[in-house]
Amino acid sequence: MHIPDNYLSPSTCATFGAIMIPIWRKASIKVRTEITRQKMPLLGVAAAFSFLIMMFNIPLPGGTSGHAIGGALVAILLGPYSAVFAVTIALAIQALFFGDGGILAFGVNCFNMAFIMPFSAYYIFKFMKKIFPDKKGEYLGTLLGGYISVNIAALFAAIEFGVQPLLFKDTLGFPLYSPYGLSVSIPAMTIPHLLVVGILEGIITLGAYNYVKKASPDIIYKENVNKMNPFYIILGILILATPLGLLASGTAWGEWGMEEIKNFTGFIPKGMKNGVNYTAPIPDYSFGNLKEYIGYIISAVVGVTIILIIFKVFAKINLKKNTKGE
Amino acid sequence: MIPEWLIEKDNYVPKEEKNLYIEKSIFSLIKIVSIIRQNKSKDKLVYSINPTLKLITTILNIVFISISRNFIYLSILDIYALGNLLLMEKTSRKRILIKSLVFPFITLIALIPSMFYGNIYNSLVLFQKIMTTILLMNLLSHNTKWSEISKSLKLIFIPDIFIWIMDITIKYIVLLGEHSINLLYALKLRSVGITSNKYNSLTGIMGNMFIKSYKMSEEMYHAMECRCFVGEYTKKVDFTLKKYDYIYIIINILLISLFIYSN
Repeated sequence: MHIPDNYLSPSTCATFGAIMIPIWRKASIKVRTEITRQKMPLLGVAAAFSFLIMMFNIPLPGGTSGHAIGGALVAILLGPYSAVFAVTIALAIQALFFGDGGILAFGVNCFNMAFIMPFSAYYIFKFMKKIFPDKKGEYLGTLLGGYISVNIAALFAAIEFGVQPLLFKDTLGFPLYSPYGLSVSIPAMTIPHLLVVGILEGIITLGAYNYVKKASPDIIYKENVNKMNPFYIILGILILATPLGLLASGTAWGEWGMEEIKNFTGFIPKGMKNGVNYTAPIPDYSFGNLKEYIGYIISAVVGVTIILIIFKVFAKINLKKNTKGE
Repeated sequence: MIPEWLIEKDNYVPKEEKNLYIEKSIFSLIKIVSIIRQNKSKDKLVYSINPTLKLITTILNIVFISISRNFIYLSILDIYALGNLLLMEKTSRKRILIKSLVFPFITLIALIPSMFYGNIYNSLVLFQKIMTTILLMNLLSHNTKWSEISKSLKLIFIPDIFIWIMDITIKYIVLLGEHSINLLYALKLRSVGITSNKYNSLTGIMGNMFIKSYKMSEEMYHAMECRCFVGEYTKKVDFTLKKYDYIYIIINILLISLFIYSN
């Protein structure tokens, strides 16, 4: 699943790199609060562990062998935020020193394997443990966590490949990067993962978890009271959904441009003609050569960030006022 | 007294089973460890160029390759990378060449259907880009000390803590790798004939590796504490340039200006 350079357009890589920055930030803050300084070296050693997991050849039916990714295992054993760190570093070492996975595509690879995979695995594990509180739930959780998370990560990789020919074409209409669309890339990526890789990942996760559970159960990650703020989840979904607006024809009511007003009414009101002429920093929600979809998502992210910053600043000012008043 | 049945000779021929997976695992672990352990302080020229410089130019070249669509520019960079390859040690030269040819060729085969639809130029450009990029990256990792590379990462705004963890990781890949090689050898010695619980033994090794890594990190913390480590880690980038470094800079400035001119 290591995507090398030049399969994806530079703008896709940049977008995913930008997405990963807040995730890494959040992970580093989280890790600092969760892990005592005594355990800081554990992150490095855990990264070495998750790197080495990929070196193990596991026998597959039919005489061949494959290897697991281990993202799910690390997430369940160490917690999702430490897993983000460990897998990121393992991927960095692979990209920098072993030439596996691209330098520019590093953000994309991290998004798939160091973010999507550990988080989905961990939450599946937690969810199954909640449904079946006995031991069975735990085993089922690790098995399914490994199986489903690797498939979700593969699906994401397939989508990233598949949108390339839709978004990036030369003047003749030929694709510039990975040439196969979603109809090819999704089955090509997901079928082997659904049938083989996922099962392998599940078995490995279950087996290794079992061993650690029996041999030294107290080192397995236990979550502190911590609930994911649903507000941020909804915000994220909304940001990803912004390009949906492109599918609708027409403009938002009341946000007509001069041309549209002319089409509607046959004339442009005098006052409007030379009236407000405002050039936005991101006109039409697009960034130069970037395709509309990505432009929309980036615009949404930028917009939300600006709003959040403004609110935080206001909150701070308010806080200062209040504390001064006291 | 040895019982009689122990003295009796027995012609036991174990049923053969493919235990290739153990050997393959041992082999890939040994490969990783040996790559890391490789001696990189050779007297050849490319090895002595300033590592920070090498990292920056390699990343810049990779960025420009991915942006450029000019066949001539890409070919010249290809030649540049191959020229660099000629300056390498014989053993690593072969290894790098094989590594950077296999993957692009697989890609080329995968691109054949697309080429039938007329997408020939773009496919060939893609093939060339992938090959040059992998070549450049492998050259960097083979002719530069890894600790120097990770140190230089500071220049591209990677925080110290990340570099610190990465340094630990590289060292512990060797230690944990050797530990698991030993476990795999033990497994190999014990798996005579048909083994039914392959997965159990393999996942057991992985689980053991995790516990071992946990213990190692604890030991490491104690060692650090004994040496008065307080959790702050700063590294300074060394940027003293020698004669050859300037030549290297000039070549790379020429390549970059070629990129600007050709696009």
